[in-house]
Amino acid sequence: MNGNRSVLSGWRAYLYILPILIVSGLFLYYCIGFTVYTSFHSWNGIDSEMKYIGFDNYIKLFDDKSYHIALRNNLVFFIFTVGIQAALGLMLAILLRAKLRGHSIFRSVYFIPTIMAPIIIAAIFRIIMDTNFGSLNEGLRALGLDFLAVSWLGDPKYALMSIIIVNIFEWMGFSMTLYYSALLAIPDEIYESAKIDGSGFWRTLFKITVPLVGGTTSTLVILGIVGSLKTFDIVSLLTGGGPGRSTEFLTTYVYKKAIEEFNGGMSAAAGVTILIIALILAVLQIQYTNRQQRDL
Amino acid sequence: MFINLRKLDKWIIQAVLAIVAVVWLYPLVQSVIKSLGINGFGNYLAVINHPKVNYFLVVFNSFFIAVCTTLAVGLLATLAAYAFSKMQFKMKNVLFYSLVACLAIPATAVMSPLFFTAKTLGIMNSYSGVILPLVAFNAPFMLLILKNYFDSIPNAILEAGMIDGCTSFRMYRTIMIPLGIPAIINIAVLTFIYSWNDYIIPLLLIRDEEMYTVTLATQFFTGTTNQTPEMVAQLYAALILMTIPSIIVYMFGQNAMKSGLTAGAVKS
Repeated sequence: MNGNRSVLSGWRAYLYILPILIVSGLFLYYCIGFTVYTSFHSWNGIDSEMKYIGFDNYIKLFDDKSYHIALRNNLVFFIFTVGIQAALGLMLAILLRAKLRGHSIFRSVYFIPTIMAPIIIAAIFRIIMDTNFGSLNEGLRALGLDFLAVSWLGDPKYALMSIIIVNIFEWMGFSMTLYYSALLAIPDEIYESAKIDGSGFWRTLFKITVPLVGGTTSTLVILGIVGSLKTFDIVSLLTGGGPGRSTEFLTTYVYKKAIEEFNGGMSAAAGVTILIIALILAVLQIQYTNRQQRDL
Repeated sequence: MFINLRKLDKWIIQAVLAIVAVVWLYPLVQSVIKSLGINGFGNYLAVINHPKVNYFLVVFNSFFIAVCTTLAVGLLATLAAYAFSKMQFKMKNVLFYSLVACLAIPATAVMSPLFFTAKTLGIMNSYSGVILPLVAFNAPFMLLILKNYFDSIPNAILEAGMIDGCTSFRMYRTIMIPLGIPAIINIAVLTFIYSWNDYIIPLLLIRDEEMYTVTLATQFFTGTTNQTPEMVAQLYAALILMTIPSIIVYMFGQNAMKSGLTAGAVKS
């Protein structure tokens, strides 16, 4: 990594890492170990009684159609939210960078949802997206666009898309803020010489701006994968994984198996698959930050 | 990207920004208007005087939990990042990577053992019952950001400190913390937002209404089947009341948030 040799050594170093190790030991490592252990057992999630059944939970899990739906939904959700949040965020950051009157007010407006709890945003959108009384459909009907006034949360065709829209609303301002700071670091001279060379808007965008904010884009992609893996509150309040199981996510799957179906074993097996994905993500993140540091 | 804009271009840019702003403000503005329907400010009074949910206590709970989590993550992660960045000891890399490997784990993935651990430790329905898991799940990512930043602080400064006879803890206080401020603000802002907004940990570990956080209280109001227009208006009033603290925190910490989000972690 870096060529610096460490300046201090000795047993005292362990005192500095002891507090974080204790907390992680209790709430991370123990919980991970317990989850892996129960995933090989038949367990109702409540009693102390467990029966070893080998890989049965995993076999049942991989046969379960709603688990496949959850995996697919997590992937689709990640691709669309990260892609659209980044594109929209970058576009608005570029427009804000022109620093016209009121730009700092606009920045605050876009950022507000990020500091609001997802559960509150979801509660507001649940009413707005209501099929009969929601203001979204009322507005569409008033404009004569009745055919667009669909059942946003109640129709399996649209429910996942609606969740994605709400997530974009929540996090676009976050992407915009990161891009905006990255753009501030690009000197105007680069754009001036591009203009003299006759480079048009789109060419300048893709040949200069997008490559120069590449670091921010990678950060957003990683935060986006981690975020989509953690997504629970928006889904549980907007659709609860329904209608049917069309908007099941990995987290809602784990939750339902344990709390509603008392199948602690399968819930743990699904939890282990999340842990494996999370581990792969962590490796990617560590490699990425190490590379970034070498490049400096 | 925009240099020597013509007047028309400026108008177009302003118009696009304004249209997006209207879309982004609409849900909030609509909530405010509807929260004043039927009983006017009576809806707000009804939420504040709710027999089961004590609004001010709920806000205090969330605030207290978020502040303590932020302080604890800040302390634990800076101490560990200092050791991992500037000290030499056995198992250093193994310990570091096994901590950071947990950075993407959602609490939901290990929800059953989390519940039993809290029960065994006797911290269900308590502040520490929410704070400790929040610290555990947030600290790994913050450790990575901090260690990265601490690596960029030259060792020569610490060596000078050692020659002057500073203890390692004194160097932590007088060198690492002051020089690490940009990254520390960055992780503090992220931890505060994440712990204020967290829903699953309080959902699993809190039952008493006295311990409700903002997110749990919100769920309490949405959970009731809100059929009557009075109840919908009251729900909106509750949502606005639950949002106000975030907006106040944002107004006070705005500059720290905007600069803090980008310092340290994001080197573009």
